Amino acid sequence: MTITGTAPQLSDRVLAELTDALGGEYVLTSKTARYNRARVPAPFPVHRWRERVPDLVVLPGSAEQVAEVVRIANAHRIPIVPRDGGTGLTDGAVPERRGIVVDVKRLDDIKEIDLDNRTCTVGTGINMLKLNEVLGAHGLIYPDDPASYPCSLVGGRIGTSGWSLVGSRFGHTRDLVLSFELVLPTGKLIRVGDGGGRKVSKSSSGYQLKHLFMGHQGTLGIATEATLKLYPKPEAEFSPFWAFPDFDSAYRCVGELARAGVATFAGAVLFDEWKVDYLRRDDEAYIPQPADVRALVCAVAYGNDDEVRAGGRRLLRIARDAGARYLGDEISHGDWAARHDRYATPLHGRTPAGQVAPMSWHCEDAAINYTNLPAVRREWHSIVARLRDKHPIFDDWGMFFYTSADTGVDYLTEIDVGIWEQELDDAAWAAWVDAKRDIAAVALNHGGSISACHGSCREGEVDLVPLELGGGYDVMLQVKRALDPNNIMNPGKYGLQRAYEEAP
Amino acid sequence: MTDTEPTTSAGAAGGNGHEPVTMEFLADWRNAAYNCFSSGHKFCREVCPVMQVTRNESWTPTAFHANVVAMEQGELTVEDVAEDYVNCTQCGACELRCPNTLFTGDFYRFRTRTVDLVKQMRALAVDNGVHQPGYRRWNELTDERTHEPVLGDVPVSQDRVRDWAEGLDIPIGGETILFVDCEAAFYRTSVPRAVAQLLQRAGYEFGLMREQWCCGGPAAEMGYRDQSRRFAEHNLADWRASGVKRVLVLDPHDYITFTEDYPAYFGDDYDIEIVLVVELLAQFLAEGRLTPTVPIERTITYHDPCRLNKRKGIWQEPRQILRAIPGLTFHDVDRVTQWSYCSGGGGGLPVEKPELTARISASRLDKAAELDVDTLVSACPWSERPLSEAGEARAIDVVDIHELLAESVGIEVGGSTGR
Amino acid sequence: MSAYRFEEQHTPPPARQVTDVAVERFEHIFEVDPKLMTVHVAQQLFPNWDTLRIAASRGDHLEWMHRHWAAEAVSGQKLLDELDAGDGDR
Ligand SMILES: Cc1cc2nc3c(=O)[nH]c(=O)nc-3n(C[C@H](O)[C@H](O)[C@H](O)COP(=O)(O)OP(=O)(O)OC[C@H]3O[C@@H](n4cnc5c(N)ncnc54)[C@H](O)[C@@H]3O)c2cc1C
Ligand code: SF4
Ligand code: SF4
Repeated sequence: MTITGTAPQLSDRVLAELTDALGGEYVLTSKTARYNRARVPAPFPVHRWRERVPDLVVLPGSAEQVAEVVRIANAHRIPIVPRDGGTGLTDGAVPERRGIVVDVKRLDDIKEIDLDNRTCTVGTGINMLKLNEVLGAHGLIYPDDPASYPCSLVGGRIGTSGWSLVGSRFGHTRDLVLSFELVLPTGKLIRVGDGGGRKVSKSSSGYQLKHLFMGHQGTLGIATEATLKLYPKPEAEFSPFWAFPDFDSAYRCVGELARAGVATFAGAVLFDEWKVDYLRRDDEAYIPQPADVRALVCAVAYGNDDEVRAGGRRLLRIARDAGARYLGDEISHGDWAARHDRYATPLHGRTPAGQVAPMSWHCEDAAINYTNLPAVRREWHSIVARLRDKHPIFDDWGMFFYTSADTGVDYLTEIDVGIWEQELDDAAWAAWVDAKRDIAAVALNHGGSISACHGSCREGEVDLVPLELGGGYDVMLQVKRALDPNNIMNPGKYGLQRAYEEAP
Repeated sequence: MTDTEPTTSAGAAGGNGHEPVTMEFLADWRNAAYNCFSSGHKFCREVCPVMQVTRNESWTPTAFHANVVAMEQGELTVEDVAEDYVNCTQCGACELRCPNTLFTGDFYRFRTRTVDLVKQMRALAVDNGVHQPGYRRWNELTDERTHEPVLGDVPVSQDRVRDWAEGLDIPIGGETILFVDCEAAFYRTSVPRAVAQLLQRAGYEFGLMREQWCCGGPAAEMGYRDQSRRFAEHNLADWRASGVKRVLVLDPHDYITFTEDYPAYFGDDYDIEIVLVVELLAQFLAEGRLTPTVPIERTITYHDPCRLNKRKGIWQEPRQILRAIPGLTFHDVDRVTQWSYCSGGGGGLPVEKPELTARISASRLDKAAELDVDTLVSACPWSERPLSEAGEARAIDVVDIHELLAESVGIEVGGSTGR
Repeated sequence: MSAYRFEEQHTPPPARQVTDVAVERFEHIFEVDPKLMTVHVAQQLFPNWDTLRIAASRGDHLEWMHRHWAAEAVSGQKLLDELDAGDGDR
């Protein structure tokens, strides 16, 4: 394989077949079209951008067109990379071996809203916020709520098996997507769900394929249409934020809140000292907080008004008894409303001298059990501290711990790291990859999983996926080879090329 | 690494083959481009009117910034990228919705400036001799005639720029003048007629400009910045020479030009007060200087012009006016939802890509149609032509807010609505 | 109604130091201490209207987000007051 970043390397024949299938307007070969689909928000050395540029981009307008593109690619053995919102943080939508980027954003229609069964069927290029603007008129909501709620799209949610801020109440993408239509690597169009029915939420019929075809990072096919489970749009939202003088008491409090069994409970978050320090840099809510605020907890509840109030009282009582100080309605309301989409601004970045520098946001997102959070926190911060000592282009932006379920069993455990990409050279990148591997190892040593949200495809962490999954990883290799005999679907991801190298 | 001087040189390999003017551009935009590039989160995508109808990621604010980084890295040239920048109405939705503006822009005094970037990239293309044929022709004609060729083959000219005011007895000159944009002066003349008569009715003294040229804003939007500046210099000199202290504008595009482009051109010397007519009229209503009494039996919704709502934060006054008009049934859509609405008429898009403008205005009218209204009210003459065209297919009338208020005050407006 | 005047727009109110890293010029609108933006990133020219526009839009956006997710945002303070008064302990 040569890497030059210049003209497409596909033959005229392939180009002609694709143009026949889609129309010339939707087969993009320009440099800008290709460069702009070679990136996701996850940091990567900018001087190596060209390594990931695809040969061309297609914008299919229907499932049949997607299938046709896949058939052409399979016949010619050309790599395919499914791309939707391009917000994924594990480089899933970035080509590792050039080929064709299949950008499905044009599949964004709402095909059906079934008010009686409370479902809707949509193209996978649609965004959740946009969908909910329409559903809101019917008093309904599709509550898949990542912090990328206004920008990630349904197909990418399926491709990553995404995690939702309010998942403790409504479930995550895997629970909310009832069924979907999928183009297999050979170009065959199938539908997977719980059993065969399009709108069935629980079936025991056959293998449970839905789960298999979620979170595969585009290595097993391209979802083109999805049927989603809808909820009544909540009457009430409750989102108290509390301050604590130390991490330990905040940690105890979040555990009690999560274990309380409040039915409207949609999630609780714990912020550690590093995160509070970081918020004090530029967050209007925390700049004026007294110095003894060192940790924060928030809880969220959604549902019917009477139920939210009843649950809310219980949550407030638990927090009060745990020594929490309520931060007031203004912060509580404002901060929660900003969680659907706020995230890091590059200018949060600070050099060791305290100067502002534009830094990328990188986030590690392990799934860790409650009892292991303190240990993981200690070890992760020290990994990042060592990194910053050596390479001051990294900055520790603190940690969050966020309930994944309604029982408080495990937490999305996130350390945010600022990376000054303008200054990211090969040595710093190598150090970063090592740090990522170490961070993943800590998660596994403590009985967790490398990723709760984004997937674990990036350099460093990906090395440990076979260790995490054990014999399950061998099954992955077998499945991959069976479904994608020519290794065309997003090749290179998850080390799946091994499926074709050694007898699994 | 320790803190050092700001890096101003762009990229490594001695300029990567770019012209000096390009190098200067890259140095100017380096941090702003990285600020988006290293965010890359695309909160801007679904509010972008062009993106909503094309779904093409090459034409997003994210791409517009990333291209600058790619140029700095020597991966792309201005020739590679120029054409993509046509696909923008400069509505400002993306830059406002971007968390780097909305959540921290004021804090750091550093915000996302996609509109500026699009303008500057178009200018850079022109500086490098890369022209879009439609833009070039439009600006040549504007230069020849001192007004935009808004009537197609029918010429517009200096001696006709005040024709809209026929019979209204408006003096020339004075401390306060009314500036009328090219579209309203030549095409939708009912708008300036409504405005002028409302001001007269309120007893507000104003005149017309001595020798009004196009404001120069469109030339700046399309990248012809020398021409824009020449036009601005002419207008400012004319104001100065005739003792103008205050300029009233009815067109949101002019309002942007006079409060953003002119200050950038003239800096501290810029001592002209700029007043937006919609705000003035809302004040007259509040003071009782104007009272709408004629009921208007229409079911309406209001289209927030991008340049007022998103780019200037002006959305309350038009609603105050509409709520004061008797007879109207008003199905309002809030200003935040409307961040993702656009007529498609701005930023030179209809000049180069009329079919894209038509798709955007069609999508805007679809949203109005869902509200079961018979009328869409706008406050921007440039939006009203494409919106009217899309409205015809859906039996929705497109009316200007000034026209509507004038009617309710009992004024026989006259002039043309372009149909 | 606010007419645009260049000089007014380009004269920000004086800064009050709030913490070692933040100042306040307009009520309830914090800004980074400009000293921190002198080396790697320079601040942009920011007319007053723009600061106020962004801050107001932020408030409108957050308000919109609440309404987008639920009809009502319940006041924690009210519930807490009820609790403290003893009538919420059920
Ligand atoms: C600011 C920010 C906050 C975030 N917060 C969260 C969060 O809270 N929770 C969370 O889960 N994630 C979060 N993410 C990560 C990201 O938004 C999610 O991973 C999201 O699911 C990606 O969706 P996308 O549409 O952008 O997909 P892309 O990035 O385009 O693709 C993601 C993966 O799915 C594959 N894929 C894309 N389309 C399809 C398809 N149609 N069929 C099959 N595979 C496909 C791609 O090949 C890729 O491997 C955040 C990202 C950002 C930038
Ligand atoms: S313009 Fe803003 S929202 Fe859009 S990608 Fe860039 S930083 Fe993100
Ligand atoms: S200014 Fe408007 S049209 Fe242009 S990129 Fe931004 S949102 Fe799109």
